[in-house]
Amino acid sequence: MRRMLATPAGVLGALIVGAVLLAAQFAPWIAPYDPDALAVLDRFAGLSRAHLLGTDQLGRDLYSRLLHGATVAMGVSLTSIAIAALSGTALGILAASVPAAWERLILVAFDIIASFPSIVLALAVVAVFGPSNAHLVGIVAVTLVPQFGRVARAQVLTLRAAPFLEAERILGASPLRIMWSHVLPNIAGPLIVLASMEVPVVITIEAGLSFIGLGVRPPLASWGTLIYDGYSYLSDSTLPVLVASLALAAATLGFTLFGEALRDAVDPRAGRG
Amino acid sequence: MRYLLSRLLTTALIVAGAMLLLFALTVLVPGDPAAALLGPQASPEYAARFVAEMGLDQPVHIRLWRFFTHVLTGDLGTDVVSGRKVSAAIGAVLPYTVVLTATSIGLAVLLGVPLGCLAATRPGSLTDNVLAGVSVALIAIPSFVIAILLLLVFSVWLDWLPVLGTGRGDDLADQARRLILPTIALSVGWVGYIARLVRTAMLEVLAEPYIRTARAYGLPRGTIVLKYALKNACIPPLAVLGLGIGRLLGGAVLVELVFSRPGLGRLVLDAINVRNYPVLQGAVLVVVLLFAGANLAVDLLYGAIDPRLRRRA
Amino acid sequence: MTALLRITGLHLDARTPRGTAHILRGIDLDVGQGRIVGVVGESGSGKSTLALALLRLLPGNVTRLDGQAVMDGTDLLALPDAAMGAWRGSRIAMIFQDPATALNPLFTIGTHLRDVLRRRQPGLSRAALRTQAEAALRRVEIADPAARLRAYPHELSGGMRQRVMIAMALLAQPTLLLADEPTTALDATVEAGIIGLFRGLRADLGGAILFISHDLALVADLCDDIAVLYGGLVVETGPAPAVTTDPAHPYTAALLACAIEDGGSGRLPSIPGDVPDPVTEPPGCIFAPRCPLVEARCRAEPQPLRPVSPGRAAACWKAA
Repeated sequence: MRRMLATPAGVLGALIVGAVLLAAQFAPWIAPYDPDALAVLDRFAGLSRAHLLGTDQLGRDLYSRLLHGATVAMGVSLTSIAIAALSGTALGILAASVPAAWERLILVAFDIIASFPSIVLALAVVAVFGPSNAHLVGIVAVTLVPQFGRVARAQVLTLRAAPFLEAERILGASPLRIMWSHVLPNIAGPLIVLASMEVPVVITIEAGLSFIGLGVRPPLASWGTLIYDGYSYLSDSTLPVLVASLALAAATLGFTLFGEALRDAVDPRAGRG
Repeated sequence: MRYLLSRLLTTALIVAGAMLLLFALTVLVPGDPAAALLGPQASPEYAARFVAEMGLDQPVHIRLWRFFTHVLTGDLGTDVVSGRKVSAAIGAVLPYTVVLTATSIGLAVLLGVPLGCLAATRPGSLTDNVLAGVSVALIAIPSFVIAILLLLVFSVWLDWLPVLGTGRGDDLADQARRLILPTIALSVGWVGYIARLVRTAMLEVLAEPYIRTARAYGLPRGTIVLKYALKNACIPPLAVLGLGIGRLLGGAVLVELVFSRPGLGRLVLDAINVRNYPVLQGAVLVVVLLFAGANLAVDLLYGAIDPRLRRRA
Repeated sequence: MTALLRITGLHLDARTPRGTAHILRGIDLDVGQGRIVGVVGESGSGKSTLALALLRLLPGNVTRLDGQAVMDGTDLLALPDAAMGAWRGSRIAMIFQDPATALNPLFTIGTHLRDVLRRRQPGLSRAALRTQAEAALRRVEIADPAARLRAYPHELSGGMRQRVMIAMALLAQPTLLLADEPTTALDATVEAGIIGLFRGLRADLGGAILFISHDLALVADLCDDIAVLYGGLVVETGPAPAVTTDPAHPYTAALLACAIEDGGSGRLPSIPGDVPDPVTEPPGCIFAPRCPLVEARCRAEPQPLRPVSPGRAAACWKAA
């Protein structure tokens, strides 16, 4: 952990991540206004003490909406990454443990999913199954499974050659026990790094989808929705779109820096592009 | 040669798998497919046309067969809204997306590789550090956000560059001007990323024994860096570029929307909004094909660069 | 005997995490015109570094490079880097230890040879380049040179790759050839062929060869003169037959004992103790901790290389 804070980039990343997480968790308490409260007479207000970041086209306070946007972003990312990590890791371990034919099948499935650019896959699924929050989380999770799967499989394969596992097998430990107490802790490192590096990716996908109206459903409003709102009313005021864009930019930047610092702290050699 | 064939086979398998997946989506829709896909507002005639076009009333294996054979003959179905062939609709807008993506990749490589070489020859310098810092920032931020910010700065506030659309068909200069901002938005992150990759790869390569041999024989520094080291250093960035094309395509779709350019992005969005499923299906398929094709090209480029991959039979 | 290369007082220090490492502690060495000089030492004795120092191809952590290495009236160690570049690949050439990594895997043999040739003789036509490259490959006894020119390094065996490296060196037409353990990475049978090549090279080159190895027997067989390196210092020099039949320095004697008596009694003889840690600066003889003939004087006084008989020198007061 200390090594992570060694570089200015790491510190900046940690700060931003901390801020976003705090905002996400405590938004209902911090936000001065109800994010959905309409005040049409007050639309497109500029920066002021009453409205720290102005208001949008319906007079809703942007600062409050941004804070709740953090909740949405974190909610979607952490849920989908958790789902992807669990299922991907399970599939990856499975791939490394079953006969070659099955392993081939799993790997080909990974390749097929990976052959869709994630936004396009999300578009296709959402178009068919209809936009909903659950669908969004689900499809994002699916697009991430191949990466977790491959990393988990690679780790298990490397570990397989380790002598201490051989020793355990000889001593008669059951496969499940070996898996639980030995394999999982050892492969956790790279998987955690991968998870943290996926957060900005998921935030981007979700924001992109929300931008075109296929993301989170009202009344939830993500940063992507805010950007779209601001973009639509660009001729009325440039403030809302600017504020929302900068928030999204800062968040993705912060999480990327954080993820990179984490990766460098865990395994500096992995930082080879 | 074997390498080429194996890559082709893998690509074909993946595309087939993707088609299967797309097809499966239509089969897996819960309840009445027409109602689910079209929504409750669709008129009965529209719904009937839709069912007929998509063959939703046929048994699954017939539909699967129809789907594959149609695609293989280039028939992506008929647009249920306008009656045009889907392939025509896609063909009309595809060039715009391809041009934007290709220009962005080209710019990213054209700027990124020299920058990376420069940074590698001056490790630890100010140039190097600035490049490192800026490149992380730019690749992290989604390209459509950068597009919007560019739009704000250069078109709305400064009024330097035209904002929307692709310009008149016969005026190349105008088209080029309107391509500037979208290309920058898409490629700016990649310039820094590629530069960083090239730099890291270069530094590793320059420490290799075969570079020491070249230096021991007094070969000019230019030859060593630009001929020997660069070729070796291109390999890791190439791999990443292959993976990144997907992100680039996805980003291109959004950037097109921001700048109101015609292209696959607009096509897909409109199709989703009016439940024009054949168009959506066709467009997604084309994107997958582009992506698979681009990855294949990258793999082939690998084989061309690294002779160790071309195992003779 | 005229000295083609005269090295005096070559000191080289490098910065390491554990402190300053004294890799070369004052090398004095003469390389005679037309001679094959063998430099023998264990790993860590600094022999490879010596060769790299002559070409000034040193890593970035080198903090000190003192002394002189005079060849044709020029001190190689004092040359500015640009001027040094003119010497590399034309007056001095080097053959490296591991041919597998010494060639760029993405380029053909032909490209490697052509670039060396072009640097030496700019303005040659493509046809002339190809002819000369083929001739060089033939000279190192590689069959079907035309096909080999189109081949990539990974398509050749280790022995062939090393022959290619020697061909490269020939094309550079150097006055001084540095061979850094050229056969260490090869099988014994392949090694014999390469050694045979070296014997023939002496006539081709007309200058001198510095042959570095840890294998005393090999060096004794091939070389005219021997210099024994220990802990960054030359401890003995002299003609090969003389040094190997009648070693003057205890370390040389111990090395010979190891080389000769292996397998006979079933136990591998070795010299007790370890190679000196480069970070230390012992006050006396560098070999004192492991010398069977050590006395108090040895530990107290440094032992410079001093002549013991015409053409021979040793760094031991007992040898004189």
